[in-house]
Amino acid sequence: MNHSFDRYAGIVFCAIGIAFMIGSRSITASAYGSNVGANIFPMFLGGFLSLMSARLIYETFRKQRQQKRQSNLDYKRFVIIFTAAVLYAFFLEDIGFVISTFLFLMVGFQTMERGKLWKSVLIAACFSYGVYYLFVNVLDGSLPGFPAWLGIS
Amino acid sequence: MSTIDYLAHGLATAMQWHNIVFVFLGVLIGTVVGVLPGIGPMSGVALLIPITATMTGGLGPEEAATSSIILLAGVYYGAMYGGSTTSILLNTPGESSSVVTTLDGYQMAKQGRAGAALAISAIGSFAAGIISLIGLIFLAQPLSAVAIKFGPAEYFSLMVLGLLAISGLAGKSMVKALMMTAFGLLLATIGIDSVSGVERFTFGMPELYQGLEFLTIAVGMFAVGEVFKTILERESNDGEIAKINRILPTRQDMKESAGPIARGSVLGFFIGLLPGAGAILASFFSYVMEKKLSKNPEKFGKGAIAGVAAPESANNAASGGAMIPLLTMGIPSSGTTAILMGAFIMYNVQPGPLLFQDHPKLAWGVIASMFVGNLMLLILNMPLVKLFAKVIETPAKYLIPLIIVFSVFGVYAVQYSTFDLLLIMACGVIGYVLSKNDFPLAPLVLGLILGPMMENNMRRALTISNGDFMIFLQKPVSLAFLIIGVLWISIPLLLKLRGKKVIINEEG
Repeated sequence: MNHSFDRYAGIVFCAIGIAFMIGSRSITASAYGSNVGANIFPMFLGGFLSLMSARLIYETFRKQRQQKRQSNLDYKRFVIIFTAAVLYAFFLEDIGFVISTFLFLMVGFQTMERGKLWKSVLIAACFSYGVYYLFVNVLDGSLPGFPAWLGIS
Repeated sequence: MSTIDYLAHGLATAMQWHNIVFVFLGVLIGTVVGVLPGIGPMSGVALLIPITATMTGGLGPEEAATSSIILLAGVYYGAMYGGSTTSILLNTPGESSSVVTTLDGYQMAKQGRAGAALAISAIGSFAAGIISLIGLIFLAQPLSAVAIKFGPAEYFSLMVLGLLAISGLAGKSMVKALMMTAFGLLLATIGIDSVSGVERFTFGMPELYQGLEFLTIAVGMFAVGEVFKTILERESNDGEIAKINRILPTRQDMKESAGPIARGSVLGFFIGLLPGAGAILASFFSYVMEKKLSKNPEKFGKGAIAGVAAPESANNAASGGAMIPLLTMGIPSSGTTAILMGAFIMYNVQPGPLLFQDHPKLAWGVIASMFVGNLMLLILNMPLVKLFAKVIETPAKYLIPLIIVFSVFGVYAVQYSTFDLLLIMACGVIGYVLSKNDFPLAPLVLGLILGPMMENNMRRALTISNGDFMIFLQKPVSLAFLIIGVLWISIPLLLKLRGKKVIINEEG
């Protein structure tokens, strides 16, 4: 167990709890025909969350055994795919589902494992257009299509 | 009308051709989800909700809900079947409730009896599915008859009990589980308050007015989080896949496993009923029980067929049992049923005692479809098991990016907002970091789903009592629920203090 993480998480959650308690003070305390307002539930839970977090912080101090776990995380691969995913999410509406999915899949496939470029292109193309076609034309769903400036449809 | 009549009507619903297609798709996708590493029943069901919503778009509201729930329930119990395949062939459980199956299943595979092990687990799962369905049919009506008498105070306490039970059994640290529950409940308060109409914690952001959508959080935390974990930790299936020679089990195998299947099913069903216990504990307990009952316990761990039959039956029976608190009382008892409940709510169907009155077609249709689905699974799994074994070999290179695309596509198809897409990425990172440090995620999602109902019931009860909190203690049923809830939390703590090892549930 990673105690320093637990301590920071405890502090963060404690702060979240307190923030919710403070925030709920500005919510009106009564609803029509009732003296029980919208503030009680978040106020109580915020208190509970910060109490539990305090308990967690206390626990991390009580057992001060730091054991370093040998971790060999592949940050480079993660950062590339994560950035690509965020960009994909962000530009989905602007450049359309098919193009953005194709680009994301290409980046994803090649980051996971280099090589076999043509196979990646084929799978990415089939998948992005296939899902779009199935969803929009067969199931009558709605997805952002091709960008207007391409003039396809 | 009697239960039998209702069941006959349900069967008629389940046998409509489009529903048969939905059951088939559900169990097929479920099996694949169970087999594929890196995607469990929870993320599988969450990912399929938007797709079913579109597929059923042409039907009326009630039929659409029925068909979708039929498909999603199929994914749920189908994944239980599929999970055993990887346990036996690869020694890596496809989902957490088949962990116990690896003990004897993989040993059997090494001895060249992989086919028999797979067949026995399919037969056991089938028998368990049927037994838990019979239990469901007999318990559903009386339980909802009791639950319908509950007032808001009783409901509130029941939900407290459910949440405490899940927190008590989830993960390694109870404090962390309780924190996650409270955090989930707090997240549920974001948005416009449904009672008074005031906005809470929205900071003027229009995206937050309707609150955080549970689907977004669930897909982000489970599906995307799991993907990030695989990318970071370079998990891969390098193990040798055992060969399957003969599929049909011998007569001796059948004789040896009949008892374990029956006992495992009954035990699993009752454990599944308990909130928070779930399939993992069921499979574990049934394995231990068989080992105790067996005439030659030393065979366990070395390829005893009873060691495959009992836990596999138990985890399937538990998944059927877990449907009961969901359908009759509206209290999900595990992560996956919580997500199923989210699907119910999305279709504007409130699971609970009124479900059997207001939507008998839906409730009994789903129950009857589970009969059909279990039969299909048996038929699918016996001859096609070699095909499913091939699915394991799907290279991670293609699988991982595709799961992300499915998450994005699924959430966008329902929410139509870039905000939600960015939210799933954030939830993915948070989910990975939290679960890596033993913060369980199931209580969070459960809190998010139960939050609004719990708050409404609490405020209704308090309005009745003029703001007096004692109402929760004065009503006897409510008091009983609260006492059980407190005991549920404190007994494991006491046991731990006395130095006993407590078994925990590690579902996501």
